[in-house]
Amino acid sequence: MQYVTRESAFHRLHPLTKLIFAIVVVALAVLTADTMMLTVLAAGVVAVAIASGLARDLLRQVPLLISLAVSLLILTVLTIRSGETLCYLIPPSVPVIGGALPVTVGAIDLAVAMSLRFAAMLFAFQLLVISTQPRDLVHLLDRLRMPVDYTLMFLIALRFIPSLQLEAKRIHEAQLARAYNPGKGVAGKVRGLFPIIIPLVSNTLGKATVLGLTIDLRGYRSGKRTPMRELSPGRADYAGICCMGVAAVGYLAVLIL
Amino acid sequence: MSPETALSLKDVSYTYPGSETPALKRINLTVAKGEIVFVTGPTGAGKTTLALAASGILYHDYGGTLKGQVSILGRNVRDYRDMSEIGRHLGVVFDDADAQLIFTTVEEEVASGLENLGLSRDEMRRRLQEVMESTGITALADRAPHTLSGGQKQRVAIAATLALGTEILILDEPTAELDTEATAAVSTVLQRLAREGTAVLVVEQKIGELAAIADRMIIIEDGTIVADGTPGQVMRNERAPSTPLTGNRRMIPRCSDASPIISVHGLVHRYDGIEAVAGIDFEVSPGEIVAVVGENGSGKTTLIKHFNGLLRPTDGSVIVAGLDAATTPISELARHVGLVFQNPDTMLFADTVEEEVAFGLENIYPGASGERIEAALHEVGLLHRRTVYPRSLSRGERQRLAIACVIAMKPDVIVLDEPTTGLDARESGRVMEILERLREEGHAIVMVTHDMRVGATCADRIVRLKQGKIVQDGETYQEDTCPRLCSMSPGRAPFTGSTLSPN
Repeated sequence: MQYVTRESAFHRLHPLTKLIFAIVVVALAVLTADTMMLTVLAAGVVAVAIASGLARDLLRQVPLLISLAVSLLILTVLTIRSGETLCYLIPPSVPVIGGALPVTVGAIDLAVAMSLRFAAMLFAFQLLVISTQPRDLVHLLDRLRMPVDYTLMFLIALRFIPSLQLEAKRIHEAQLARAYNPGKGVAGKVRGLFPIIIPLVSNTLGKATVLGLTIDLRGYRSGKRTPMRELSPGRADYAGICCMGVAAVGYLAVLIL
Repeated sequence: MSPETALSLKDVSYTYPGSETPALKRINLTVAKGEIVFVTGPTGAGKTTLALAASGILYHDYGGTLKGQVSILGRNVRDYRDMSEIGRHLGVVFDDADAQLIFTTVEEEVASGLENLGLSRDEMRRRLQEVMESTGITALADRAPHTLSGGQKQRVAIAATLALGTEILILDEPTAELDTEATAAVSTVLQRLAREGTAVLVVEQKIGELAAIADRMIIIEDGTIVADGTPGQVMRNERAPSTPLTGNRRMIPRCSDASPIISVHGLVHRYDGIEAVAGIDFEVSPGEIVAVVGENGSGKTTLIKHFNGLLRPTDGSVIVAGLDAATTPISELARHVGLVFQNPDTMLFADTVEEEVAFGLENIYPGASGERIEAALHEVGLLHRRTVYPRSLSRGERQRLAIACVIAMKPDVIVLDEPTTGLDARESGRVMEILERLREEGHAIVMVTHDMRVGATCADRIVRLKQGKIVQDGETYQEDTCPRLCSMSPGRAPFTGSTLSPN
């Protein structure tokens, strides 16, 4: 998840508008567990992405969302029994343990709601990140009086995730060249991680010192900053905030009524 | 102290936390405003420690025992509040370029420091444009740091520090991964800054372009300054290296009728629509050392990754030991092609040197005998270090261990990506001697280097790439790439990882 250079309508919005958008979506998502409402919310975020030409970037998160949804489904089915029973993981005809793991409507509902909630929040946050230069985000968070350490932490997390992925890929390639073969079974898989994880962690820790020094030497802790670009909200921002307001009020009205 | 003195170290000794032996011993050094001082020395001599001491980082950030006095612009580093305060006067370019790039686009990176200086927006834009142009990164403005090559990252890191416009600049290995063109661009910028009064302290392993522009050259060995003078004086007085890169190489006539172990035909590789390799035909025979050279981004690494299946061709074919590298599993190709990556830390994970070598060997030949491990470690001169934790080895030893890991598997072809980067002449010489012996045993060696001189002195054949195509394939390098410094010294440079030959 990283800033994408493009000329989309969403890119042109003021960072504050986009931040408000993300916060509103997160707030609306946690207010309800109703699958219909959450579907509307997630679809709304996707619609904004499509209108801005950023839908393809959002698609990259789909594999993650699917694996999350499947894990949630397994978890809820194993732990929650509520509502009508649809079937049993172990058929009732099996002696002794038969009928022990019922699949209930409540468990499936909760898994679907959680997945939709997560999808809406992730998409909204991703829209903010891919359309806003980190520098503008830093200035915005600065203006909002967020402590500089937290702002930098946020920035570094954004910046170094792709670097870590790249480093992991490089290490993986280096081990593949030594005929590395991830083991079989759970124990084998865990053991198979060592040749990747150990160099990754050691190399990353080595970079941390240089990173901290660079931040200090560039004066990032001095607190006084003059943004090179002063962004001010335009008509599109006011229109966007109005639309968000109307949509949020409508959403809340449906929830309450 | 003279008002013109920018940096001064008086009797400075330093011992790292947890270490008993000092890394610096009674160092005395001054750098005046407008002066370029070039510091060099073998691997592990204390060059980086000297740069860290001079910048105040050792005192403010590292702990350990620091004796003597370090002053920046006439003020003791102990009197500065922290590194942020020092950062207003002094910029540091560290050797790890990647760790210094904080932002997600190149332009943001260079602008980031400018925004903290209280300049007007017009002045910021002017400086930004000027610095990006002078370091040749204008075209990269919108690129994300993680998509850049090592050399490009290094240029961005330099630009971000130059933009701060500090009175003092300290650069640790700033050109280690730069090709000749980019190095020349950095030299020009540093010369201009020095003329404008900036004090510049450069630490480099490689004696090249930057030494040629220096006013003073210092050689440090085992934490002590052993030579200090103009580059010409120092070079004249310095002894020849104990193990020159070229060694006493026995030229082995290549058997022209030997069938090639690698055959590449019409190879094309595209990343996201960009042709990194654009139609390459070439062959490698057993018992030859081939250097693949070219500027940063010319497609060298992309090419060699096809030999062991890490990349598969977009078009064309790669045949290795009779196997089609487009379809053969990597684990099968690993029996025939060993790849030594540029940075040995990419692969080291085991608890002992011995286990590290055993890893690859056992992946291919389960239950392989310890004799092969011993033989590989003996070959690279690390047998006496077999029980040591690999990451505690020196940079040169780690590089040799990486080679041992590959040669234990006895592949037909050994491919090395930048085998001498970060190594001094002695260590580079040892690596080259190992490669010579392997060649004599019949292995084919392919080494990739951005440093044309390594190829020129060590290989039987040089294949030069430019924009993904072979522009030269012959026994000698046909272009004069020797930097200006060559004309300064009658002998060989003492610590260059890429020996400078006057010829």
